[in-house]
Amino acid sequence: MIEFLKKIYSRENNSSRAQANERLRIVLAHDRAGTSNQLMETLKEEIIQVIAKHVEIAGTPEVTIIHEGRQSALDINIPLKGR
Amino acid sequence: MNNNENNSQVIVVTSGKGGVGKTTTVANVSCALARMGHKVAVMDLDIGLKKLDLILGLENRVIYDIVQVIEGECTLKQALVKDKRFGHLYMLPAAQTRNKDDITPEQVKKICDEMRKDFDYIFIDCPAGIEQGFRNAIAAADKAIVVTNPEVSAVRDADRIIGMLESAQFKDIKLIINRLRIDMVKTGNMLSIDDLLEHLCIDLLGVVPEDKNVVISTNKGEPIILNERSAAATAFNNIARRITGEKVDIQDFEENPSFWSKIKTLFAGK
Repeated sequence: MIEFLKKIYSRENNSSRAQANERLRIVLAHDRAGTSNQLMETLKEEIIQVIAKHVEIAGTPEVTIIHEGRQSALDINIPLKGR
Repeated sequence: MNNNENNSQVIVVTSGKGGVGKTTTVANVSCALARMGHKVAVMDLDIGLKKLDLILGLENRVIYDIVQVIEGECTLKQALVKDKRFGHLYMLPAAQTRNKDDITPEQVKKICDEMRKDFDYIFIDCPAGIEQGFRNAIAAADKAIVVTNPEVSAVRDADRIIGMLESAQFKDIKLIINRLRIDMVKTGNMLSIDDLLEHLCIDLLGVVPEDKNVVISTNKGEPIILNERSAAATAFNNIARRITGEKVDIQDFEENPSFWSKIKTLFAGK
């Protein structure tokens, strides 16, 4: 019974409210930083290229926008190959 | 503090998106403050699309407008319309047949400085948008109130406006959430107060629930705060009290939780 009710409740994660929050999170991050998905892709590619020119990259590099309060930052995570 | 001439506050009410309830907010909060005994002025800067006179029910008493004051056709005193229902509430009407580019931020500033001598609170009803009308409206203000609805497009515009106010060096920016439907929040179909605060990251000044009485009052040209039974009236009165510095809790909109919502809370796992 409890499991059943929990299941019903968890449906709210797909609610229109949850979708609104998710869409706003993305759109506001881009609005604030003045960026678009296209720009992020370009940035990511070029940053990785520059790094790769000088050091060897291991694993999957990540470039994302993170935000804390109303401040945004570019989060660059590039794992380097050990010696 | 409020009878000190030098302590008068100029507060701009803005939103970015149109139709979220800026003018209704300006009208009701200023009426509430005037009823509390403060000297209040409201300035309609939506030149070309004026609404404040109609919302306040003062449309038949308008003689001059702000553009005529600026162009020297009349004095500020002549243009100010007194609201006879409240102690000390005056409205400076917008011009309907002119446009936003007919006045400049400096001219608005000059009028506000003149008004500071006679008023505790001066509210500026800002037009929608981010163009000249917005720049005119924020030029003279000390503080800003951003009105939004729990709806994605309104929140996005509010965020943009907050960014612009921050760039214009505003230190005091507060949020009013208008037209909240707690029943829809509970069923997962509307953004909640916390959702909006998380996205916009500014202090909350008040929450006004959706209330059909607002439409009825607006039809009659009566401020909603005169209707004691209205939930929106309580919310606007509370906002006015918070503006004066009083600590007033945000209303609990869930006085009678339904059986089903109690069950849900039980299994929310929090």
